[in-house]
Amino acid sequence: MARPESKLKELKSAELRHEPGARRDLVVTLNRRSAPRLIAYGDDFMYEKLPVGTRVIYPPPPLEPLADPDAAIRYALLRPENADPLFAQLNPNMRVTIAIDDISLPLPQMRRPDIRERALNIVLQTLADYGVDDVHLIVATSLHRRMTEAEIRRMVGERAFKQFWPERLYNFDGENRAELVMLGKSDHGEEVWLSRRAAESDLLLYLNINLVPMDGGHKSVAVGLAPYQSLRHHHNPATLRQCSSYMDPTRSALHHSANRMGRVVNQHVNVFTIETAINNQMYGGMLDFLQKNEDRFSDWDRMRLGGFRWTLGNMSDSLRRQVLNQYAAPYAMTGVWAGETDAVHRKALARVFQQYAVPVKGQSDVLIVGVPYICPYNVNSVMNPVLVQCTGLGYLFNMFRGKPLVRAGGTVIVCHPLRDEFHPEHHPSYIEFFHRCLRETTDASELERNFEAEFARNPTYIHMYRYGHAYHGVHPFYMWYWGEPARQHVGRVIAAGCEEPEVATRMGWEAADTLDEAIAMATSDLGRSASITYLHLPPLVIADVE
Amino acid sequence: MSVYAAKPTPPRSGRNLRGRPRACAFYDLDGTLASLNLLHATAFYLANLGRWSARGGYLARLVLDLPRLYLAERDDRRLLNMKLFEAYKGVSRDRLWELGDEYCERVLVRHLYPRAIEMLEGNRAAGIEPVLVTGSPDFLVEPLARRLNVEHFAANRLVYSRGLATGRMREPVMAGSEKSAWCAEFAAARRIDLAACWGYADSYYDLPFLCALGHPVAVNPDRRLLAAAHNRQWPVVRFSHDAESSGQDAASGAWLLDWLGGAADGATGK
Repeated sequence: MARPESKLKELKSAELRHEPGARRDLVVTLNRRSAPRLIAYGDDFMYEKLPVGTRVIYPPPPLEPLADPDAAIRYALLRPENADPLFAQLNPNMRVTIAIDDISLPLPQMRRPDIRERALNIVLQTLADYGVDDVHLIVATSLHRRMTEAEIRRMVGERAFKQFWPERLYNFDGENRAELVMLGKSDHGEEVWLSRRAAESDLLLYLNINLVPMDGGHKSVAVGLAPYQSLRHHHNPATLRQCSSYMDPTRSALHHSANRMGRVVNQHVNVFTIETAINNQMYGGMLDFLQKNEDRFSDWDRMRLGGFRWTLGNMSDSLRRQVLNQYAAPYAMTGVWAGETDAVHRKALARVFQQYAVPVKGQSDVLIVGVPYICPYNVNSVMNPVLVQCTGLGYLFNMFRGKPLVRAGGTVIVCHPLRDEFHPEHHPSYIEFFHRCLRETTDASELERNFEAEFARNPTYIHMYRYGHAYHGVHPFYMWYWGEPARQHVGRVIAAGCEEPEVATRMGWEAADTLDEAIAMATSDLGRSASITYLHLPPLVIADVE
Repeated sequence: MSVYAAKPTPPRSGRNLRGRPRACAFYDLDGTLASLNLLHATAFYLANLGRWSARGGYLARLVLDLPRLYLAERDDRRLLNMKLFEAYKGVSRDRLWELGDEYCERVLVRHLYPRAIEMLEGNRAAGIEPVLVTGSPDFLVEPLARRLNVEHFAANRLVYSRGLATGRMREPVMAGSEKSAWCAEFAAARRIDLAACWGYADSYYDLPFLCALGHPVAVNPDRRLLAAAHNRQWPVVRFSHDAESSGQDAASGAWLLDWLGGAADGATGK
């Protein structure tokens, strides 16, 4: 049986367009005549002229989507990697659990049908065909907030929702001690805890979306269905400091730890992984200019940009947030694989890098990143300062393989208004973390030592996590630790366009009113010899730094 | 200072036994820990007075007073408390305290939010001592405090004359800023930093009380408190009886049956 992709007529040319060599034009050096550049700036965009000589790295164009995603999913289930086909593993008396990635992926949410809905419908039909009735669907939230009923319905689709909600389709609860079980310890002494239902199932299917190379693999089960007792082994400053890049799993201590724990899971549980990859078609239709090189803007693009910015600028903050959160990206599936976790993940990773990787020569003194309105932890919520830190230093700084885009001791300019603004029902512990803990110290190890256990065990935060829609009490610590490799590497962080300088100061950053001012501050020591790189988002790009 | 000590009981195993607690959690009662309010309690009491004729008179007066109580609630919580407590005028102290136990056992305990009590116990296990700060009368709060193993509470107290309630309240009346003043005094006497203390309340009238504490939490907040909580970035917690077998009934109409049942028992001298 041939893979469905081979039926695509244009596949060959599409692949050629994504050869690394063909991507040299994605790195643009600005001159005097270059147009201003669009830079994500919270729930708005900056449109700024950058200094001559600035290097702008653009994301590659979207990969061709699969012509028939449903056929590709069926093919993957029939021809899995290093495993028997799904149907061959089924019998009517078995207990099956399907775990699904939560709302943190993809970003922004994708247009319906969500990939998870497509895959679930096919998997559930297969299970039904083979008489498997004891099926539970668990949203693998780990310590993320519980998804709401409406969010789950949108994600899994009407069919699965009507059949399983709420008794057999629910969020994972990392604080329900009765429903957790310890499977053992890894060879590094890491405690491996898992959802009891998943652990006691005859077959555990994990259905994932790989938005970036950080996702998927053993991290899906060993993190998504695990409580604090497991996560503390790798979500800590010491481990994260040893990560070269979160986007390069081969050089990430976080992933090494998750892999060790995942292998312990696989020794106890029959895990059948289904991984999917999507292209980077984040904006389409009237907003497709957001993904273009500004030098190639047509008059129509400039008109749409003006109209877009005018509209955003004339909305109230809450309306603007609501409108942006409603936006659904036209992502399309570029690959799906099923079977044994490691084998599946290897193939998925290759496709993800094929989408995002851009070769870049050398590091620079200054890196400019724009933090958008959304990150994995504020879907339908507020981008608070701790999350800005996590997105800027944790995610965008890490968008590299090889070496960081900025040299050791260099400067990162983070474009964001940086307001002292939180969602009290989604991020209650973040508020205390920011106002109490960060006031005392910004040192990740001290924060871990002095405060982490208190927050992790706080009954109010636990209640809000279990029964409300709050992130776990310990979550802001993880977000802070996430920025640890960047904090160790760079000399300065400057918030450009910062509206509340005290917020920047609280996080150990400097504040600048404008991007020009931030660039002047960053290059004050080096003068005109300073090299500047701007990582152009949206959509996403990973720099292969030579 | 109005500190009331419930009957001492041995500490539970999860309790911080290493001396003085490092922080307190101050809980409002009505609407916060329990899905009842003071009007329910007053109706229960008046329906369980010794004589049938007295019950009718007291209850009729309470019903006639409802518009006045509504206006008082709209203006000021303290005023509401004072007006409501006038309903007890002429009731004997013995009867009030005796019924307090019964009300607690038959009604109040059943209407406590299980997850609120879970949180209270969780806080206690984390070394945060629970304290009740409520506008309910002491004869209701004392039995509950005893059952919850809460050593300290602040509640409203009636003035008695020759063993009968006068319908007036002793100062300080626990409402609004009086609650925060009491908490400040309580914490100062124990050298506890209020900034480290938690406060749980459901009403906008509790805003001064919540503002005085380092960790305010809005519980099942009314519209105005919810707005204030969002504005001030306070955590918002929602308790319900949904997860229980008793379901929503317990939170809505079942209280009526409870105290009517209690009234029938009262007539037989229970």
